[in-house]
Amino acid sequence: MNNFCKYFDSFFRGLKTLLVGLKTTIKVFFRKKITEKYPENRATLKISDRFRGTLTMPHDENNQHNCVACGLCQNACPNGTITVHFETVENEEGKKTKVLTNYEYDLGTCIFCQLCVNACPHNAITFENSFEHAVFNREKLVKKLNRDGSTVVNKK
Amino acid sequence: MFDFSVVSSWIHQFLTSVMPEGLAIFLECLVVGVCILAAYAVIAMILIYMERKICAWFQCRIGPDRVGKFGLLQLFADVIKMLIKEIVELKNTDKFLHALAPYIVILSSILAFACLPINKGMEILDFNIGVVFLVAVSSLGVIGILLAGWSSNSKYTMIGAMRSGAQIISYELSIGMCLLAVAIFTGTLQFSEIVAFQADGWLIFKGHIPAVIAFIVYLIAGNAETNRGPFDMPEAESELTAGYHTEYSGMHFGFFYLSEYLNMFIIAGVAATIFLGGWMPLHISGLEGFNAIMDYIPGFVWFFGKAFFVVFLLMWMRWTFVRLRIDQLLKFEWKILLPIGLFNLVLMILVVVFKLHF
Amino acid sequence: MDLKKRILEIAPETQFVEQGDIKAIVPSSSFYALAKKLKEDEDTSFDFLLSLTGMDFGDSLGVIYHLESTKYGHTCVLQTSTTNRENPELYSVCDLWKTANFNEREVYDFFGIRFINHPDMRRLFLRDEWNGYPFRKDYDMDSNPLNMTNEVTEDKTTELTIDAEGNVIEKENTLFDDKEYVINIGPQHPSTHGVLRFRTSLQGEIIKKIEPYCGYIHRGIEKMNENLTYPQTLALTDRLDYLSAHQNRHALCMLIEKALGVEIPERVQYIRTIMDELQRIDSHILFYSCLAMDMGAITPFTYGFRDREMILDIFEQTTGGRLIQNYNVVGGVQADIHPDFVNSVKKFIPYFRNILKEYHDIFTGNVIVHQRLKGVGVLSKEDAISFGTTGGTGRASGWACDTRKRKPYAMYDKVDFKEIVYTEGDSFARYMVRMDEMLESMKIIEQLIDNIPEGAYQVKMKPIIKVPEGSYFTSVESSRGEFGVFLESKGDKYPYRLKYRSTGLPLVAAVDTITKGGKIADLIAIGGTLDYVIPDIDR
Repeated sequence: MNNFCKYFDSFFRGLKTLLVGLKTTIKVFFRKKITEKYPENRATLKISDRFRGTLTMPHDENNQHNCVACGLCQNACPNGTITVHFETVENEEGKKTKVLTNYEYDLGTCIFCQLCVNACPHNAITFENSFEHAVFNREKLVKKLNRDGSTVVNKK
Repeated sequence: MFDFSVVSSWIHQFLTSVMPEGLAIFLECLVVGVCILAAYAVIAMILIYMERKICAWFQCRIGPDRVGKFGLLQLFADVIKMLIKEIVELKNTDKFLHALAPYIVILSSILAFACLPINKGMEILDFNIGVVFLVAVSSLGVIGILLAGWSSNSKYTMIGAMRSGAQIISYELSIGMCLLAVAIFTGTLQFSEIVAFQADGWLIFKGHIPAVIAFIVYLIAGNAETNRGPFDMPEAESELTAGYHTEYSGMHFGFFYLSEYLNMFIIAGVAATIFLGGWMPLHISGLEGFNAIMDYIPGFVWFFGKAFFVVFLLMWMRWTFVRLRIDQLLKFEWKILLPIGLFNLVLMILVVVFKLHF
Repeated sequence: MDLKKRILEIAPETQFVEQGDIKAIVPSSSFYALAKKLKEDEDTSFDFLLSLTGMDFGDSLGVIYHLESTKYGHTCVLQTSTTNRENPELYSVCDLWKTANFNEREVYDFFGIRFINHPDMRRLFLRDEWNGYPFRKDYDMDSNPLNMTNEVTEDKTTELTIDAEGNVIEKENTLFDDKEYVINIGPQHPSTHGVLRFRTSLQGEIIKKIEPYCGYIHRGIEKMNENLTYPQTLALTDRLDYLSAHQNRHALCMLIEKALGVEIPERVQYIRTIMDELQRIDSHILFYSCLAMDMGAITPFTYGFRDREMILDIFEQTTGGRLIQNYNVVGGVQADIHPDFVNSVKKFIPYFRNILKEYHDIFTGNVIVHQRLKGVGVLSKEDAISFGTTGGTGRASGWACDTRKRKPYAMYDKVDFKEIVYTEGDSFARYMVRMDEMLESMKIIEQLIDNIPEGAYQVKMKPIIKVPEGSYFTSVESSRGEFGVFLESKGDKYPYRLKYRSTGLPLVAAVDTITKGGKIADLIAIGGTLDYVIPDIDR
């Protein structure tokens, strides 16, 4: 008799848990949906300003950047993502200085660790938010960060 | 109430007036066959779309909405994709049986589909042993599943097929018990007569307790019959990748896919027919005006409305519960569902004998 | 009790090195006897082998053992080595601690040290036909060109034993014989949570034996670290167990800070602790989702991901990353918390408390779930300790192994929280431990979030960090167990050897024991409740 009771007890208790489950799903059925319609909601998309999308080199209105081609970022990078191409020129006082020619950044190997930005003494590079990186071949991922004809900001 | 037999007999008379009777019947068979296949495909597409949307809503998503308005063209995209996919032939498989299996599965489901009375006078296969015929043809599908699993020459499919065999054969018993209870109550095995019996009230109301129990047991067992969650053991995508149809591709896979959905519809359709009055409109005795309005709604609308309601119930279960384990699944059938079915059968007999029904 | 004296009593030739953590250097001849004694003696009872690290000392090859007693809580570090670089052989301890089985295979794989009496001396991560042993300092990086052939799976393995005359002889052991019905679950399988392969011998639906194959996502992170500066090594920790990214990085930062003797501001400790706990909730939500999905319920899966998204948004706001956060740095954190951080965390916690009830309604209470999880895959406490399955798995077996309680770090000794321990050891207990831990994590966050002190978020470090010579070990409680970092430094700006104690490797090693006699469906449920992360296993 005891077993008999147990059989029915467990049966009805089990049934109840199943009904609780059904109740939960039907509640969600009528709730507001959370799907984000991505390409359409580009305008309202909220991305944190700290989000590391891609490395950039900010230029001011005179097409000038802060990079003095010291190469610290290149050394800090664990992956060999950054190559700083520079040429050495002599200024009026006869002092040799490095001048950036091509700041090469390979987005394909970047692991977004922020070490280059941390290493930069002049805040010449920073991460920005753009995240739509898809391209059709890998060569396109290698980017030149300094703009054509840009020069370095003169420090007083 | 609109009687479809008016249309069919008119067509028959027209055809026999212009050609010999044999040819006319042959032509009619052809037309009916094409109609069944077309309806089969259309319903499958509707079901696939419905499942996608309903499952999404249960999951706090909005489901397909990219192809066409509300994703309505998604179903055509799916079908076209399925049709143009390559059918991959594998090494070391039994090629003939491998190709045959999906056709057996789909054939059994089409045959069962043809048994459903959609409207008054719109029964395609309607014998005096209709219920038995339905059970017989729908269990043919298991042969296809076993063949598919065996001929694929893969261990995953083999396990899936073995599970499926054990599962479908077990749950057939419960389905049988429920149908038997109905047969006792209505005193007939012919679908059209079962529906006619419910003219003054659906069976689920007339038969009260035993009918409700039979309805619930039928839904559960039917869900298991169609290999759908929480009883999707043979497929069990997280265990056996895709179970018995792992090695199928293209339209051969499509056949399994279609038949799974259509089997669900057949289960729902049979449930609607025998428990919810089929194409019979809802009548409440005493409210003549109401009943008259209900009569204006055509029978096939009633039938599909009820069937899709049951489909919704099945999907609700599917998207809520966790999958059972194979031994628990069989234990559930033999230790819980079947005893309930047997008990219910006795209860139904008592109800009928002592005229306790409405 | 004086451990030093004890060790000297048993093995008198032992020397002690006191650079960094104290290390006992034991000659290989007396090592096994010492280990056995330390484990079995009542007053030492070192029953937990925390970490087993292979080392190339230049002239010799050796192994470092980190032992701990679960009874007394004391620890010791043993080191043994052999100067024979051609054919190095050491005695195996896998009969004392079951976790040594896989760890010794890893050492064999990387250093070529063969362990005598180890029943299964095969490579663990690399292919069988790999040339050379990559972690040796004299390894030629070009000796293994990209291999274009398939790897052949061998059913045989070798064991080294000692015969009566004391000679080392090779014996062949069989993994699977020809008559067994062996199926591959993985490496590509929906519920191995990544590229892990179980060769499973079946009898019908019942599992007879499982042989895990690791290494499909082995990246050699530890080897890469040997050529990276300390700040650079940090970048790779997030990629080990990506669901404990923050905690992993916390461990390495703590280790370097400890070695350098840097005092960390309290603000940083608060931030780190809160982030650790958020990460734990994040990981446990994912655990819940994936377990539900493995068991065939896809709806709870999406619920989990819906709510996890909120934590990821909080992470993104402050750290700039969602999965890979790169937030901890040596001496502090990368940036101060976002002005909105406190608010969004405070908004999330009450919401999640509420929604957690829904999780329980749809999944935990369900009778089918009970059937599938209760009494399935029982791991006894002894086995849990022997395998070293820390974290939720160990606590479900009744082993109070929470590092936050055992070796408190950051703010954990100042906050009030309960260590969740279940005694059943079955899948359901493993599941419940994690569900309850989420509540505790929320409790911890609530205690801290309002009191974050003002102050610096970072201590200024020298541009080039050089860790003083010595060996160091630190561990944190990551989302799935004790994550330890072992560092051997020669005083350079590069680590000489950096080893991560994987939280997942012991879990995979224990799979065979747990699943024996279960069904295929149980294997999936057990895999889900063990909650391993493959990149953490393969490293």
